[in-house]
Amino acid sequence: MAAPDELFCWEGDWGLPSVSTDCLVVLAYAQFAGAPLKHHQISNPWKSPSGSLPVLRTNQKDALSRPSDIIIHLRKQKYNADFDLSAKEGADSLAFISLMEEKLAPALIYMFWVEPKNYVDVTRRWYAEHMPFPLNFFLPGRMQRQQLEKLRLLRGDDSLEAGEELEKELYRDAAECMNLLSQRLGSHKFFFGDSPSSLDAYVFGHLAPVLKSKLPNGKLQQHLKSLDNLANFCTNILLLYFPRDGRESSSSQKMSPQPEAGDFDHVPNKRQKQFLSALVALGAMLSYALLTGMVSIQHVQQEALEEPPDVQPIGPNDHEEEG
Amino acid sequence: MSLAAEAFVSQMAAAEPWPENATLYQPLKDDQILLSDCASSLAVQAYLRMCCLPVQVVCKANAEYMSPSGRIPFIHVGNQVVSELGPIVQFTKAKGHSLSDGLDDVQRAEMKAYMELVNNMLLTAELYIQWCDDATAAEISRPRYSSPYSWPLNNILAYQKQWEVRRKMNAIGWGGKTLEQVYEDVSQCCQALSQRLGTQPYFFNKQPTELDALVFGHLFTILTTRLTSTELAERIKSYSNLLSTEKNLSVSEISPPVHSLFPSHSHSVALTH
Repeated sequence: MAAPDELFCWEGDWGLPSVSTDCLVVLAYAQFAGAPLKHHQISNPWKSPSGSLPVLRTNQKDALSRPSDIIIHLRKQKYNADFDLSAKEGADSLAFISLMEEKLAPALIYMFWVEPKNYVDVTRRWYAEHMPFPLNFFLPGRMQRQQLEKLRLLRGDDSLEAGEELEKELYRDAAECMNLLSQRLGSHKFFFGDSPSSLDAYVFGHLAPVLKSKLPNGKLQQHLKSLDNLANFCTNILLLYFPRDGRESSSSQKMSPQPEAGDFDHVPNKRQKQFLSALVALGAMLSYALLTGMVSIQHVQQEALEEPPDVQPIGPNDHEEEG
Repeated sequence: MSLAAEAFVSQMAAAEPWPENATLYQPLKDDQILLSDCASSLAVQAYLRMCCLPVQVVCKANAEYMSPSGRIPFIHVGNQVVSELGPIVQFTKAKGHSLSDGLDDVQRAEMKAYMELVNNMLLTAELYIQWCDDATAAEISRPRYSSPYSWPLNNILAYQKQWEVRRKMNAIGWGGKTLEQVYEDVSQCCQALSQRLGTQPYFFNKQPTELDALVFGHLFTILTTRLTSTELAERIKSYSNLLSTEKNLSVSEISPPVHSLFPSHSHSVALTH
């Protein structure tokens, strides 16, 4: 076969291979099925072939971005984690995946993007710190608006706002969904038999961020931690299939108190920022010099038609100076 | 509704028996109701029949705007109004009427999962076909949806609804799907339901549950409704065990009432005359 398919995903953190649910689903499925994909862990959605993440670029140069489409594509390439499932088990998978999409996904959107404290302290901060320079100012806000719009449309409620009632309703549905998953899992290691399938990938993708993220408002996290078998299920998959990220988490936990104390060494893209500030300063100096007439640019051909530049009014133009 | 209020309501609900004058509201049956609303409404009616709870069906042109959640159908029982099948099931449960008491934990989890499967795939596919397939939207959905209103309100409301559904489809990633892919999803959903059902008469044990009511509502409506293309019904017809259950439900003991409720169902719901 030709070059392997390329998978673009959000970077990981909190000991997870990626921070986004959809990316986690795809990554987990690819691991379960043993698909040889070329991973690109990026933090700039504009670098992905379709402008969103995750994306699978196939060797026919198609770009697939829905997790279900990617899984179907991998299945066609004979990387099938559901090969051993009976038809009834396949039907059950489909049903439980729908259950999560209807009940758990809206609560996850709320938890990460709508709940004000979580969004400001964790989600926006994470994306702003990880995205490259000009994007980090507007993309997190735009992503939040998209997610909020999605939640509104899912619930068919135009005037949706963060609030106690909405939170309780969404969290109640999500907690019920977790209970149902926990009952279905029972004391097994995976949902069907001894090897993980696509349902395991979906459950892992939805629950691992809940379990591992460090949010100020972590009601769902507490509920998940109280369901021992589901929490163990997630940590197990992390240990078995993403051992590298699991170890990183323990080291990053030791490091995490440090940035609070002295943040100077941990500025992301340090060189880039230094370069940009030098550029802005240079620009400010030059424009000041131009405006005050210390330096003038003359167009040789039009010289006769134009007045000499130093006649122009001289004054400190404050707004031009600030960089 | 806040949780405290909800707890209060369920206590109240438990205290009062089911009244004789309970009503179910839906859009006008002959010339307004659309496939997806009709299916949801029929599912609730079938569920209440299975629980042996009498309900009177009232057709209102503005039913959608009367519903507390903006969705069809809703029931008015005593001094309470509850919309959609899920909450209605909880509401009747609080009154002591339940079809899923005999299930164990795993079965109940599976039943809820399959109900979400129907909502997630079959209902969404119905909405897609109604509003995102240009031929169906122009010939059937927009004229029917806006039939009670006069010009120019009819156009405004119909396009507003269509726009809203299309935005929802984009938000859940169905916007880029073709009609063929949607039919494929319907097949996949029916395949799953058919596998789950196997050769049993009902999905769980020997008794019908709310899942049976939901599946019956959707399949019966799809099979008896004429659309611009028969593809949707054709897809379902290939799953014979689903069909026989659906027939059982509509002909056998629970459903003489359901059937007599819709004596000329195939005519009354037919979207084109």
